[in-house]
Amino acid sequence: MAAVISVAVVDDDRMLLDGMASWLGGVPGIRLVAVSTTVDGLLAAAPAPRDGAGAAAPCDVVLLDLRLRDGSLPRDNIRRLLGAGSRVLVISTVPDRARVVEALRAGADGYLTKDNDLSTLVAAVEDIAAGRGAHSPELAFAWAHDTGPERPRLSPREEQILLDYASGMTLHSAARRAGISAATAKDYLDRVKTKYRQAGRPAHTKIELARRAREDGLDVY
Amino acid sequence: MGAQAEFVGVSGVQGWARALWGMRGAQDRARLGSGIQRAQAFMVLATLLYRASHLVVGVLAVVPERLGDPTACPGTVAALAVSALVYGTALRDGWFDRRYVWADVLVTGCLLPLAAAASGGAREPGAFAWAMLLSTSASAVAAVALPGLWPVVVVAVLVATNLPGYLLARADAAVVTGHVNSLVWSALIAWVFWRYLCRQGCQLDEATERAVTAEAHKARYAERLEHHRALHDTVLATLTALAGGGIDGNDPRVRARCAQDAAYLRRLVEQTSGSEPRREIGAALEEAIRSAESLGMRVTARFHDLPAVPPKAAGAVGDAVREALNNVHRHAGTGHAYVTATGQPDSGDGVTVTVVDRGSGFDPERHVPGLGLRSSVHGRMAEAGGAALVEGAPDEGVRVELRWPR
Repeated sequence: MAAVISVAVVDDDRMLLDGMASWLGGVPGIRLVAVSTTVDGLLAAAPAPRDGAGAAAPCDVVLLDLRLRDGSLPRDNIRRLLGAGSRVLVISTVPDRARVVEALRAGADGYLTKDNDLSTLVAAVEDIAAGRGAHSPELAFAWAHDTGPERPRLSPREEQILLDYASGMTLHSAARRAGISAATAKDYLDRVKTKYRQAGRPAHTKIELARRAREDGLDVY
Repeated sequence: MGAQAEFVGVSGVQGWARALWGMRGAQDRARLGSGIQRAQAFMVLATLLYRASHLVVGVLAVVPERLGDPTACPGTVAALAVSALVYGTALRDGWFDRRYVWADVLVTGCLLPLAAAASGGAREPGAFAWAMLLSTSASAVAAVALPGLWPVVVVAVLVATNLPGYLLARADAAVVTGHVNSLVWSALIAWVFWRYLCRQGCQLDEATERAVTAEAHKARYAERLEHHRALHDTVLATLTALAGGGIDGNDPRVRARCAQDAAYLRRLVEQTSGSEPRREIGAALEEAIRSAESLGMRVTARFHDLPAVPPKAAGAVGDAVREALNNVHRHAGTGHAYVTATGQPDSGDGVTVTVVDRGSGFDPERHVPGLGLRSSVHGRMAEAGGAALVEGAPDEGVRVELRWPR
């Protein structure tokens, strides 16, 4: 079913908000329903249902600027938006890698720099709305060169796909180079994302740690 | 600090040899070591010559005449052995080992004169003068090598152990006074030389450090100025023109220029976000990317942890990137290329650069339109000790990987 995807943008640059409005205005299948300079602002003024139908629903995808001037933490912003029922695509002017990694760990579904084409942005929004998650070379680069202490252990294959995709190759080309199918290559990227998500979860009890070890395939003997 | 560490390996022999024969060029200066090390090398040499003059007396004058003297032969051998130990280690390590200096003081300075006086030469001071002479060079090396007031103690001990020898031989007061005078002045002169050279060395080191700091400061200033100039010619000029009004922001040319300026700023942030901006490789990549942009290409650049590489390698990488970008411009049928440059964590100062496009690619089985690219990129990298890899498939773009070192 070709439902229209509702999108909101949170960014403290008014010029970007205006630009986004005119950019997305011409895209079929996507409707920009709200813009705000803060997450507070967005959540307070829930999108007015234009169809006049019932209560305000959370929009499908929120484009969230990585760094907001109100000093809020990306992690908190993402959790609040997820809590409100939206999916989050993080955007920023410059890829501040440590923050990008942290944002994905906190549950964001994708990351793009703002210099991407409209078609790339629309594809990412559609992927995220469909629950597939979005990959991008800039995100792969942040993961590939993450030097943080919480970096999950990646398999050599995962590393290779990550590096090749980060270097600008299409997923298809990266897969061909590795001698695997594009679907498998995407699986690898998805796995990396999952590993990062899991590394972000706090483990409280021994039972949970044991379960985590099983999930991560650490107890293979 | 890093430069200091390199000096540690300088051995005394090389040090004083160079100090004597003169230096050639900055590299020799660096290998020669700091001012203090040069002072040490000189003092090792000076006291060695002093001791050598006494050993010559001991060997030449004593051995032929007094082979029958029970202390002369073993005594000379002992003096030679201890001297070899003291100076052998000092030449090897660059400075005296205090333990051996103490051994020298005790054996050559105290025991030997006493033994020589007590055995064969007790009747006549001239007979054991060679042993007394060795005592004065022991006094000199102790004055240089021992800290604080220890040289004073050593001179006192030497006087106290040499006097009984003269008393046994009933030597003239003039001879005894002369010897004590020699002991004291040998120590004093050596000590004054050493302090003076030390001070000069320290001043030299400070001056060198100031010069190095000033040089680094100058380099940073030049770099900043370069950035400012580039910002002035790009971002500032564009913004000023836009702020003046009358320009259509939607004009594709205006947008292309803005995009280029933004890309420049982005690279600037990428390059300087690491620990230290790496001038050589960063500047080489920047130049190659800008020349591609001037052809109307869009280049997405990502850098991580750029290492410091020799200018020649950076130049080769820059040229190879330029070639690869030219190839994208001419053959790929796409105006967009991706350049990534990252340090190689496992090989220290290595760097890996990829130039990737998503264009028409080539069929490696059938024909190789990238042949020109392949040879030019390979040639440049190989010459600088690096390697290049060109890969592609039909409709899957081209991937050029440059590595340095190989």
